[in-house]
Amino acid sequence: MSLDPGEPFPDLDLPDHTHRQRMLSEVASGDPVALLFSRGWWCPKEQRHLREVTAAQDEFEVAYARIVVVSIDRPEVQSAFRAGLGARFTFLSDAERAWLPRLGLLEETDTLHHPYRPTAFTLYPDLTIHAAYDGNWYWGRPTIEDLRKDMRAISRAVRKDFER
Amino acid sequence: MGELPDGAAHLSFDGRTLHAGRGPGRCFMIDARCLQGEPVSGAYAHVCALPDEDAALEFDQTEVQQVRRDAMAWWIPLLGDALVSLTTLALDEARYGGAITVTREPVTWREDPFARIFPGTVVRSDLFCPVLPPAGPVVERYAGVAWPGGRF
Repeated sequence: MSLDPGEPFPDLDLPDHTHRQRMLSEVASGDPVALLFSRGWWCPKEQRHLREVTAAQDEFEVAYARIVVVSIDRPEVQSAFRAGLGARFTFLSDAERAWLPRLGLLEETDTLHHPYRPTAFTLYPDLTIHAAYDGNWYWGRPTIEDLRKDMRAISRAVRKDFER
Repeated sequence: MGELPDGAAHLSFDGRTLHAGRGPGRCFMIDARCLQGEPVSGAYAHVCALPDEDAALEFDQTEVQQVRRDAMAWWIPLLGDALVSLTTLALDEARYGGAITVTREPVTWREDPFARIFPGTVVRSDLFCPVLPPAGPVVERYAGVAWPGGRF
């Protein structure tokens, strides 16, 4: 499966942090998306990165953009992790590894948890990939400034009245 | 209250009962999706609003912003499967008149963040259908379309 810019991202169907079944397209709901694949709550790098993302959630909210995190944590664990972060965005649980092998995002170095490799994608509302980030090394992850630039570029392309 | 914008529906509250459309009591605009599916019989609607016409704030006020953040952060997760739907109550393009959280069973209403603005009244209702809770944003999209309704 190609996950390169310009390709459509699969419309993931997974339970969210409240156990409700969600489609990624429904969560996007017509807005640009920052889609973050995360190892899990235990990883100090994920904790650091998601704290930074959480600090930017106010901006995403007023700019009509979405943050979605996917991990192999169970929904109740995600719910607790999300509460600890103070996050208001959606977590999707792939505890059953329903999508992990299909996406080819297995973190091969962690043979204990078999989690997602930290990767990130910025998506147009129709789930077309705008940019992809490989976060194997921490500096490969999108900074808030990267996400800001991507959200601006996507919004400029999809909001007809972006420049009046 | 003028013409309904797309995505909005009228709902009336007289302090004790709810009526779809312009019924007795005060008329609000709600997220129309709450009334468009198969209704849940005997649901519990926690109406955090008053029939008094003066009970209103602007949607842009920080209190109204914050209760929606709280709804996203912990109120919706706290309700779990009990949640049927929720909607704010818009009075016009700018003013907030309250909110309704609808559940299948009685819950800890004292936790309802919307009750911090206007006190809640529990009303048994057959009007509301299940709507997936919002994944964002916390601000309304179009003036007059009650959050979380409306799409660009």
